[in-house]
Amino acid sequence: MAFIRNVSGVLHSRLPVLGPQQLSCLHTSTSLESKTWERRNLKMYPPQQLDDVRRPAEVHHSRRQIKYSKDKMWYLAKMIRGMSIDEAIAQLEFNDKKGAKIMKEVLEEAQEMAVKNHNVEYKSNLYVAESYSGKGKYLKRIRYHGKGMFGIMDRVNCHYFVKLVEGSPPKTEEKTSFDQAKEYVQNLKNRTIIHSL
Amino acid sequence: MAAPMRRTLVALHRATCSSLKNAEASLDLRHPVPLYVPVRTKKRYFVPPAAGLKRKQQEDPEAAARAAGLVFRQQYFERPINISCTAGIFDPYVPPEGDARLSSLSKEGLKQRTEQLRQSAASQLAIRKIKEHDPQFTSRGFAERAREIFIEAHGALTRFDKEKLHSLVTERGYPEMTRGNRYKTISWRFIESLEPPKVVHARCPDMVTKGNLYGQVTVRMHSKQILAIYDRFGRLMLGSEEQPKDVLEYLVVERHLVNPYGRWRLHGKIVPSWAPAKDPIIKTVMIPGPELKPGQEFEALNYEVPKPKAVQWNK
Repeated sequence: MAFIRNVSGVLHSRLPVLGPQQLSCLHTSTSLESKTWERRNLKMYPPQQLDDVRRPAEVHHSRRQIKYSKDKMWYLAKMIRGMSIDEAIAQLEFNDKKGAKIMKEVLEEAQEMAVKNHNVEYKSNLYVAESYSGKGKYLKRIRYHGKGMFGIMDRVNCHYFVKLVEGSPPKTEEKTSFDQAKEYVQNLKNRTIIHSL
Repeated sequence: MAAPMRRTLVALHRATCSSLKNAEASLDLRHPVPLYVPVRTKKRYFVPPAAGLKRKQQEDPEAAARAAGLVFRQQYFERPINISCTAGIFDPYVPPEGDARLSSLSKEGLKQRTEQLRQSAASQLAIRKIKEHDPQFTSRGFAERAREIFIEAHGALTRFDKEKLHSLVTERGYPEMTRGNRYKTISWRFIESLEPPKVVHARCPDMVTKGNLYGQVTVRMHSKQILAIYDRFGRLMLGSEEQPKDVLEYLVVERHLVNPYGRWRLHGKIVPSWAPAKDPIIKTVMIPGPELKPGQEFEALNYEVPKPKAVQWNK
């Protein structure tokens, strides 16, 4: 026992202390209870000068442990990415999915929060910058099959995250197929042979 | 001959009328076929809850937890009481109308000043009581001290120095000063004092027991200040950095006289009913409209925004 203790003591003294460069390679994972998304609402910026461009307000909101599948929620989240908030609420109101009703509530809450707490002037002047769904805590149950076989059934829950930014939604450039083809041909023409005569 | 014919006829009839409903086939009186309609019981789509549950619902979850060995800590329903400051301003000072409108050099202004100097008897009594506990108390010296406390407290507010703020502001005044300011940047500067600060009012209420004295002194201050509030993103919400404003304030400073370690701290402000309206914030705000009956329309031309009553209130 003493021998083992001595060996471990020697090993500890021999182990190199990890410097900051080595520590940056270590993955520090967040625990299950960390609410990083909500903490982004607490970030403070220094006062702006008069000639600076007015910084757009950002509101982060989320809902946790929604009784819905994250894959099914993803379809709705992808649909409203980049839409203005009025358009997003209108689309979700007339969507038949179960997640649409919950998402609409989340968006309306976020809009109210923005006007009340985050000094947003016009409640329609917001657009959805980021919206995605994540896996919540699953409950496991047994699903009985024939011949004494069983499977583990997951009762799924998901989280939904949304970030609203003040301003009008950014316009995405639509590239026609002809433009894409032209670009491809140009890329081919730009090929050269290096180290040639 | 009739019986076998009838039998084949029945068979044919059955074969041809297999698609027909039973009722139609039975109504065919030429071939009174004995009806055999298989009727099954109605499928129960509603399953009563008692059938699905395996355990009784009258189980006491608390008793089960106690039996299992879980111990719940005793819950104390207590409410903390703070004895280092009072909960409000007792017998607040009512500032006379037209204060600070007349300059001290004119006749009316001098009259006003002399009237203010001769305070009411209650204030004199209170000042005498305060002098018993704090022999170094003088009206003039105290007014200067109150102004210094005010400037230091607001300086601590801009830096959000909690410890210093708690030592300069009472527990009742602290939330009023700091509510909503946590995620905002406040830039405040005291430029100069337009008139020397003056003790205007004093009261010495005693709480609960007879000897437990608190001293509340109201100080009148006329000064120039600059205030600019920025929101979380650094955008200007209120005021401006360059334009100073003339401010007439009535500060209430309090001290727990019986406590030897008590200090004079900012307790609150009195806003008179005739105070001019503050500058609006740099934001358009929606005011809720009148309640309409169904069918009634909103007439924007005749609608007047309701203004609040001009009442003195303590801040």
